Amino acid sequence: MKIPSLIALAGIVAVALLIAGCTTPTPPAESTVSLIQTRGTGPMPTLLGTDQIDAYIAWQPTVEVAPLAGIGRVLLYTGDLPPEGKWTNHPCCVLSARQDIIAENPDLVNAMAALTILSTEYVKENPDESAEIVADWLAGKGNFTYGDVSVSSVDVLKQAFPTVKFVNEPTEAWIDGNIEFVHALRELGVLTGSLANTTDEETRAILFDTDPYYQAQAMIEAGTITTPKPVAKEIGIGYLNSDHHAALFVVVKNWQYFNDNYGIALKPVDGTQSRPEKAELIVNGQKIADVRLIPGDAGPQLMQLASTEAIQFAYVGNPPAIAAVDKGTPIKILLAINTEGSGVVVSNESPATDWESFVDWAETRSATGKPLVIAAPGKGSIQDVMIRYSLEWSGLSVSEG
Amino acid sequence: MRSPVPLLLPVLLIVGWEVAAYIIDNPFILPSLTTVIPILLHPFSAEYTLGTGSLVDNAAISLFRVASGFALAAVIAIPLGIGMGRSLFLNDFLDATIELLRPIPPLAWVPLALAWFKIGFVSIVFIIFIGAFFPILLNTIDGVKSIKRTWVEVAGTLGARETQILGKVILPGAAPTIWTGLRVGFGIAWMCVVAAEWLPGITRGLGYLILYAYNFGQTNVIIAGMVVIGVIGILIDQVFKAGERRWFSWRSLER
Repeated sequence: MKIPSLIALAGIVAVALLIAGCTTPTPPAESTVSLIQTRGTGPMPTLLGTDQIDAYIAWQPTVEVAPLAGIGRVLLYTGDLPPEGKWTNHPCCVLSARQDIIAENPDLVNAMAALTILSTEYVKENPDESAEIVADWLAGKGNFTYGDVSVSSVDVLKQAFPTVKFVNEPTEAWIDGNIEFVHALRELGVLTGSLANTTDEETRAILFDTDPYYQAQAMIEAGTITTPKPVAKEIGIGYLNSDHHAALFVVVKNWQYFNDNYGIALKPVDGTQSRPEKAELIVNGQKIADVRLIPGDAGPQLMQLASTEAIQFAYVGNPPAIAAVDKGTPIKILLAINTEGSGVVVSNESPATDWESFVDWAETRSATGKPLVIAAPGKGSIQDVMIRYSLEWSGLSVSEG
Repeated sequence: MRSPVPLLLPVLLIVGWEVAAYIIDNPFILPSLTTVIPILLHPFSAEYTLGTGSLVDNAAISLFRVASGFALAAVIAIPLGIGMGRSLFLNDFLDATIELLRPIPPLAWVPLALAWFKIGFVSIVFIIFIGAFFPILLNTIDGVKSIKRTWVEVAGTLGARETQILGKVILPGAAPTIWTGLRVGFGIAWMCVVAAEWLPGITRGLGYLILYAYNFGQTNVIIAGMVVIGVIGILIDQVFKAGERRWFSWRSLER
């Protein structure tokens, strides 16, 4: 059969099927937005500054950078994403520990929890000083340069700090918030292992060990920290270079204060470094362990290190921790590090001033055949999960890339 | 330098960059070099590098890592290459495996390096080793194979033992090609510094500095890091070229 006759036959069959009601013409397309993943937040200001994206969702301080560098506006912080109240106080970073160290040296894990709790209190009481410490850790207190605008890292951090809520207590609401993320990650198809089909109760038992938090609180209230048995092997603490992890940076930089007031410290070996690599865990004047502070560039990388025993503790976002537990990494989530602390930035040209007008803008752009392009830091990240959920809740369909 | 010609294009590129930056007028696409120059003018200050130590410190650390990986690659690749060049069996035995491993970019080894050698110096050296190993090996094999048979035969006829042939004929004869392999190998090892310093758990080095600056979108620091990598690359290449002129100029006299 010749090709033209094949095409004619296909046309006849299609018309016949249509008449028979076997196919329906495509319904009018719903409004779409395009979501791209940028592996971290680093490229986002550049992408916005070169008109390659219309908006981004990022953790701090990349949110605050946009208005300071004149490349965009903060549309909203993630606690205000719709539906109303859904993301208020949403979980963000957590402290996780390997199960073997929890079993072998519970006092050491309790001490780490106590350090984190004490430092978080300090950060809350001294936000400006803490912002300076974080600016030193992240940028040696130097400037951030975006395009031809240079802004002081101290200013950026001071502005970003009030939008991050530093909390540690693993409250019921916080645990429920984490379980919300488990549901969302399941819907995204990220969870295929031990958390693929669990009930919320089972999820909770698999993910959390909140005992060290309460043990640490009791020690702090009693005014004495139990001295853990010394560890011969170096302990690794993974973290991300984000102001969310201010508690770790402050406890290392201000080690003397914590040593003098509470008898517990993470003393840097070389105090002159902006980002110390090695420290000593000291409890009641006794050296308990050599500690290596290991920065990762994203949560999944830290979780890979946890799975190969390169690190025992990690300050990490909750989705990477959840995904790692799902894949069999033997860790538990001990306590919260912070909630919220992310935001949505739109370009200066955007007509959006709140979420409703943002959705209108997205619909208009979709109708003109040029859907909005929004950048998120990585598939399955907190920011990706939240923006996806909110966009779909608002009746927009999300396309990848 | 005897003539100013080699400097002409770099100068033109710098001028062209600045003119283009002025015309495009979007510093995100093409930042003016005025944001980069202050960093380069303060190579001993940590103030301009996001608390990552001075450019000189970072360059020294990276050079030490690259030199270590390169030295390891040379120590293994040169004897292996001589063996493969001399022995048909060894060549047949190893060639397919080497050709299989050769195209794998060093960056792809990062996850395995981390799992096998853990965080730290050994992993970094391994990644650089991978980059330097193959050019040295292939040039060594080539150098040994391309030695004139008459040279080897003459030495044999005159009663030279295998070790003497190796030391007096093969090695000196293949040395220029091996040297080229070392030169190319060091160039690639130096290129691998960014991939190697992408490994977690390190907080110093030029590659680390570039990637750290990328996390904060600091294009000026990235460009400064690239310039330093480039300049060090040129300087080292000049050293290799000087060695070539000094020791192997006889090659151009050979007929």
